[in-house]
Amino acid sequence: MGVKEIVKKFLGYRGTIPTATVVKEGEEERRLSGYRFYLDYLIKDKVAAVALAIITLFTAWSVVEGTLQYVGYATRHRALGWALLPSNPIALNFAASLHPPSLSHFPVYIFGTNFSGESILSRLLYAAPKDALAAYLVVFSGIIIGMLVGTFAGYFGGWADEVLMRVTDAFLALPGLVLAIALSVLLGSGYNSVLISLILIWWPTYARFFRAQALSLKSRGFVEASKLSGQNSLMIILRHIFPNSVDPVIAYAALDFGNVILTYSTLAFLGIGIQPPYPEWGSMSSNGLPYFPQNWWWSIIPGLVIMTVVVCFTLIGDRMQDLIGGRLTY
Amino acid sequence: MSVLEVRDLVVEYSTVYGVLRAINHLSFEVGEAESLGVVGESGSGKSTLGLSVVRLLPPNARYAGGSIVLDGQEVTRMSNSEARRIRGTTAFMIFQDPLNSLNPVKKVSTQLLEAVEMRCKKLGETYDVEKATREVVEKIRDVRIPDPELILERYPHQLSGGQIQRVIIAMALLMRPKLLIADEPTSALDVTIQAQVLKLMNDLKKEYGMSIMLITHDISVAYNISDRIMVMYAGELVELGSADGVIRSPMHPYAKALIASIPRGVMRDAPLEPIRGSPPNMIHPPSGCRFHPRCPFVMDVCRREEPREVGQDGRVVRCFLYG
Amino acid sequence: MQTSTLIYLVRRVINAVVTLLLLIFIIFVLVHTIAPTPVALARIYCGSPHCPPAELQVIIQQYGLSLPLPVQFAHYVVNIFHGNFGIDTLYKVPELQVIGQLLPITLELVITGLIFAVIIGLFTGSIAAANRNNPIDYSIKAVYLVTWSAPVFLVGFILQLFLAYELKLLPPSGLANPTLGNPPPVTGYPYLSAVPQPLQGWLSGLVRAITSPPLIDAAVEGDWRFFVSGVHHLVLPALAIAVTSFGVVTRLTRASMIDALDRDYVKLSFMKGLSKNRVVYGTAFRNAVIPIITLIALLFGFSTAGAVVIEDIFQYHGMGYFTVQAIYNLDYIAILAITIIVGISVIAANLVADLLYGWADPRVRLE
Repeated sequence: MGVKEIVKKFLGYRGTIPTATVVKEGEEERRLSGYRFYLDYLIKDKVAAVALAIITLFTAWSVVEGTLQYVGYATRHRALGWALLPSNPIALNFAASLHPPSLSHFPVYIFGTNFSGESILSRLLYAAPKDALAAYLVVFSGIIIGMLVGTFAGYFGGWADEVLMRVTDAFLALPGLVLAIALSVLLGSGYNSVLISLILIWWPTYARFFRAQALSLKSRGFVEASKLSGQNSLMIILRHIFPNSVDPVIAYAALDFGNVILTYSTLAFLGIGIQPPYPEWGSMSSNGLPYFPQNWWWSIIPGLVIMTVVVCFTLIGDRMQDLIGGRLTY
Repeated sequence: MSVLEVRDLVVEYSTVYGVLRAINHLSFEVGEAESLGVVGESGSGKSTLGLSVVRLLPPNARYAGGSIVLDGQEVTRMSNSEARRIRGTTAFMIFQDPLNSLNPVKKVSTQLLEAVEMRCKKLGETYDVEKATREVVEKIRDVRIPDPELILERYPHQLSGGQIQRVIIAMALLMRPKLLIADEPTSALDVTIQAQVLKLMNDLKKEYGMSIMLITHDISVAYNISDRIMVMYAGELVELGSADGVIRSPMHPYAKALIASIPRGVMRDAPLEPIRGSPPNMIHPPSGCRFHPRCPFVMDVCRREEPREVGQDGRVVRCFLYG
Repeated sequence: MQTSTLIYLVRRVINAVVTLLLLIFIIFVLVHTIAPTPVALARIYCGSPHCPPAELQVIIQQYGLSLPLPVQFAHYVVNIFHGNFGIDTLYKVPELQVIGQLLPITLELVITGLIFAVIIGLFTGSIAAANRNNPIDYSIKAVYLVTWSAPVFLVGFILQLFLAYELKLLPPSGLANPTLGNPPPVTGYPYLSAVPQPLQGWLSGLVRAITSPPLIDAAVEGDWRFFVSGVHHLVLPALAIAVTSFGVVTRLTRASMIDALDRDYVKLSFMKGLSKNRVVYGTAFRNAVIPIITLIALLFGFSTAGAVVIEDIFQYHGMGYFTVQAIYNLDYIAILAITIIVGISVIAANLVADLLYGWADPRVRLE
């Protein structure tokens, strides 16, 4: 058996839910599943392809800039963090204070400057890695915690399940933002405490998601068959329940990256998280509040950037959910 | 004169994977006070056929050719308001799932009275609530439901599947259509209830003299109440003839196979023969005769060419085995 | 009332109380995890990391912070049920008093916003469903995907910029024209003295929440100039809340309308010869609205959170504005009190939604 067959077998076996059968004459039945299935479809859809491109750009930039910032921080050459930026994002330059967006000194003033004369563009670019990290870290942690807790509760049932449902009910009773405010304030201001409180409020949704999946999967034929063949529960969970629950969660998660960025930015807007002078998309917007509406760009442009990134995540998630919902399949 | 005349009908669905031709050059007719059983497996286009007669195709479907003449009117080129006029009083269709067939938030009586109201509007009669209520009660009794007054005051979820199907048949009687299309009216019911509902339909056909087009996957159900049977496969007609003729001496291999796969009561020795293979892919259907990959009598010509309809004395079959 | 209805009601109420207790428990556990020692806890209650040790000891004594945890939890719950959330660090008055004055203002804003959101959502959602997969549907979808992806503050800023500063249609900020004095709140509820002591605080709070929003006060007192000015100031922030949250309603309305339109009873209604409008807006809509009811509680929570930001931008001095002040002043007691009160409000909204659901759908009551 060649590598191709093994890969084919593996791909064909997973993904019981979002699969489509495409048969052409004289061609063997081809099953697409998992990420391949989504990717295939997203690239074909023009709007989704643009969104995917923007997200890829955002992520790639965040990785590069984030690495530079981290290396700069670790080697005490902080200037490395703005080596790629058009200007130093945290250097005061009152001569250029509240410069409106313009094409002079392209691209430094393209989005204007704030009261301290710092380029909004540079500050936006500098802050991007923090948003990307928050989005990916919080969603993936949420998925992992939710998967462990939810799958075990759903698979084994009983009182553990009952307790879990009650606890998630209680968590979900509070708007995420309000609980996040309380937690981050209690934990003390800073990036880490925001991340911790976001993860703490983010897992219950996924726990419920995976619990529902485990409940429906555990009575399905192939799980029953493994039980009868004497596999232990852990193996069944690892081999059958986990892989089969992940697919539908992917679509929701894609949308959820955007939700994290929204909540994270709103916290930053309220002054929770990264502290001055370091920029943050949400706090940039709120710092402009006293200068609104005369210096509208200071508040509005960071908001527009957040919106653009979130719209892209939402679009991709939405298209994936269309696929899962079967509205585009037949 | 026939109530329904379908000529060369083609219906297509557009899907993300391509165009799906659900009905392919289909022709047949239903005479006055005649009942026609349409038999086929799921995906054979039989439900699409029902919906296309009453102009209720889903938005991604379109008429791609042919004509449907219902009571002298061309359906495929009708405007929406004209289509509204033929629905109910000219043709009435009842659907498969009894649990979903009545509006869950309205009482049974409200829904039946609505039907009378619409009929009166169309036929230009004056609508009188008391008279209508009396008529509703009478029709409910006609479909053999005891205590009509009690049933009328209930919500649909308080009724059983059999009761709902009877209520819907009562609704059909209230509308007095020329053609009643029943899409799997008994599939979701228990076997005993099934028999009762079928008997009811049979009685009503005689009493009211309406034409019936019964759509089912179960050929024995069709045999029970049909004068003629049409067998469909992959959107095409494969055999059409009198119910007795088709059941007793099927000609097309698919019809033969369908009849061979019916379990026959007490005859335990009779072999049960499942049809081999699986239903065809409708976006890229097989070449030639669409049944050829599953046909036990397949010949070379079947793979190359599409068979034509041949027949005499009202018996039609599409197979190279017969000329 | 039928027994089944009664059982449904009782079950929902018990459910709400259990959820509330668990929520309090979770907050208690989180606070004690973050501040595991009595001294650390006292610092939180004090509201400043630089609290003198003598004062910390007083706080430990006063709040019983060195007692065993179960006892502390019992005290905590009993205090909350008595409406005792501690003394505000900044204003030096009981939290319930501060929040009791501000909550009605926020409720007025949030509920108005919700009404806008539901109206816009139902309208756009059913239009989208009736025109499924054609340009109208796609444009509606494009609009709501953008609005629900927009941060609340951006929506606030843009609405303020265009509607208030550019077009000068509405006042940009504030509760009402500051030259008009606030109408005196309606006071004195003699009938409350008949109620047992522990419940009195809550009940009077409830009655106040219902009767003391400034607009209703103004209407009751006949102060129409204040009323008109208040409504003027309310529209813009309420609209901002509606813009960020209507998309959820649109999406669900569209989905449940499409689901309803695919049901056999809709086809049967068409079969009767009913007009498209009567089928879409009579039969299908009536059924599609039912799931929206459960969404309202969720939206209520979402909008209350959004109100924090909106009140900051529009200088709308309600509970949200107070929250922002509490964040800047590190007023932990206020933040904990707000968290629990928002939790109670959302759980109450859920309960109301459950009961409405049971009323709207004849099937639910019997389960």
